[in-house]
Amino acid sequence: MVNIIVAGILFVIATVFGTAGIVGLFIFPDAYTRLHAGSLASTTAVFTIFLACLFVVSDWHFLARIVVIMLFFVVSAPTGSHVVAQLLWCSGIIPWKQKRKESK
Amino acid sequence: MEILLQGMIIIFLVWIIACVVRLLIGPTVADRLVALNILSGLVLGLLVLLGAQKRSSLFLDVALVYDIFGFLGFIAISKILEKHLKSYTANEE
Repeated sequence: MVNIIVAGILFVIATVFGTAGIVGLFIFPDAYTRLHAGSLASTTAVFTIFLACLFVVSDWHFLARIVVIMLFFVVSAPTGSHVVAQLLWCSGIIPWKQKRKESK
Repeated sequence: MEILLQGMIIIFLVWIIACVVRLLIGPTVADRLVALNILSGLVLGLLVLLGAQKRSSLFLDVALVYDIFGFLGFIAISKILEKHLKSYTANEE
């Protein structure tokens, strides 16, 4: 019973973070800001889903496989985002800036 | 528990469809690259959820291999696109 409650709370957290990331992917104006919002969905939400799946399953071989996937995911997902950001910056794309309001 | 997993799988499908829409309509190459990066992570989460729902460890093996090859392939894609992006931004200015 306890593990169902914990998994439900983790699912709710993942839904909040992931929905925020996907909405940000659509309303932000620039590739850099979209990357910032989307990393929220692709790293935080997916990692929370993995944590929740640890409470859902009960067999040892499931747990071991999920832990291995988590370990590799922790290394690979932020590295992928970093590679994208470095590629965009090195290829000379200029970040978006808010236009200054007219002086008072 | 089953209904929680089912609902979470449907939410993931909605996110993946939104990400594919961003991949298709993205105005520049950079936006498509960002969407592809996010899509890879979301599909990995969906595979693990399916494995937990169907109680089948086959999905988890596929998820691990998908993660490794997706990461390596993504680095290769970004290496190839580097020249293309540079010429793209040079033409724009």
